[in-house]
Amino acid sequence: MKTAQVIFEDGDHKWLAIVRDPNRPSYLVDTNEYLVLAGDDAILLDPGGGEVFSAVFSALSTVFDPRRISKLFASHQDPDVISSLSMWLEFNPDIKCYLSWLWGSFVPHFGGDAETFVTIPDGGMDISVGSQRLQAIPAHYLHSSGNFNLYDSGAKILFSGDIGAALLPPGEDGLFVENFDRHIRHAEAFHRRWMGSERAKRDWCARVSRLDIDMLCPQHGAIYRGDDVRRFIDWFGQLEVGVLGA
Amino acid sequence: MAVRGAGDELRRIVHVNEEIKSVVATAFKINLMAMNAIFLAKRAGQTALGFGVLSNELRRFATDLQQQMAALREMTYGSVGTVTGMLKQTQLNRVLGRAHAEAVGVGRKLIDEFLRGHSEVMLQHEESLAALNRRLTHMIADTTQLVELGSVLARSAKIEAAYGGAFSVSLMQVSSDFERTIGEIQRSLETISKHQSQEVR
Repeated sequence: MKTAQVIFEDGDHKWLAIVRDPNRPSYLVDTNEYLVLAGDDAILLDPGGGEVFSAVFSALSTVFDPRRISKLFASHQDPDVISSLSMWLEFNPDIKCYLSWLWGSFVPHFGGDAETFVTIPDGGMDISVGSQRLQAIPAHYLHSSGNFNLYDSGAKILFSGDIGAALLPPGEDGLFVENFDRHIRHAEAFHRRWMGSERAKRDWCARVSRLDIDMLCPQHGAIYRGDDVRRFIDWFGQLEVGVLGA
Repeated sequence: MAVRGAGDELRRIVHVNEEIKSVVATAFKINLMAMNAIFLAKRAGQTALGFGVLSNELRRFATDLQQQMAALREMTYGSVGTVTGMLKQTQLNRVLGRAHAEAVGVGRKLIDEFLRGHSEVMLQHEESLAALNRRLTHMIADTTQLVELGSVLARSAKIEAAYGGAFSVSLMQVSSDFERTIGEIQRSLETISKHQSQEVR
């Protein structure tokens, strides 16, 4: 089972990271799921694949009543992001799934119907969770052609999907980045290969540089916080992407 | 075997788990209350010897209850895994059922075979879940007995409080708190039993 850890708390506004399942089969890529709570409402970010549904659901249930989850946010269409959708819908048929309009007719192959999806236009949109307003920030082509991050200005947290992701070896898989230079080696090959557009990368770096961010939370690997957020944006800005090999 | 939907089963497990969490929090409270009661009994001295013994027993009861609830939680997480398997199987059966309705000739026969195989897998999931639920029901019954013991201890502490001399009022207050808090646990267990009685049959 994964563990659910509080990474931000201010009254009834909280962020939980659901991470690191010791029983995860090695053939499945490790994923982080995040839950944003505000009052009685909650949104689950990149709920994960069908294979990890049980681990995510159980970990969440240790600290939170999953009946309060009214929304899912899918940064993009990948199976490790949203293929558990049909299981969440079996649990709560009224749940809404926010995702890029581009995937509005593709992701229903994982489950759901016309009532399930709230599609996000390319420019992004606000998503209300309780009293909080989160912003879907465009991150197209990084790596998916219809791709969004989610920014919470109250918590100063940016959920960055695959941007900032690292495939960490055992023993170096802490929740937070502790040594940026050592950590970033595990992110480099991934970003070079998966991030397909130099122009999109530069646009993203400029866009998120204008945000006040305390934590940058990727879907894989460790969370960047404090000065490491700026370090990551600068590093990514300099990295040559969309290339095979080193 | 009549089967409720796997989604219903998942919602039932969540109800049970939420009540378990509430009992865990209350058991922790009893543990702290018992520790304070032990100190109070020590201050009261000779007149509260019996109350002190009962406070020690209530603390042991709280620890046993916490362990029992931890085991119950583990079991509910095990059930989530099994129900997830059922969810996958349900979805697969739905897809195969649609394919069966549309298929003709050899295709239809092949899907028939698939469906038979999947029915067996579903049956295994149901049996596994039913076994887990039977164990859960037994553990809830054991926990109910344990809490009954806690209730008796709280009542006895109330009687002992009457002999507490100058500390009698304070001891009475503490023992009443025990009784009320254990009453909360009994109500939570009744709710758990109610949800558990709606298990897959």
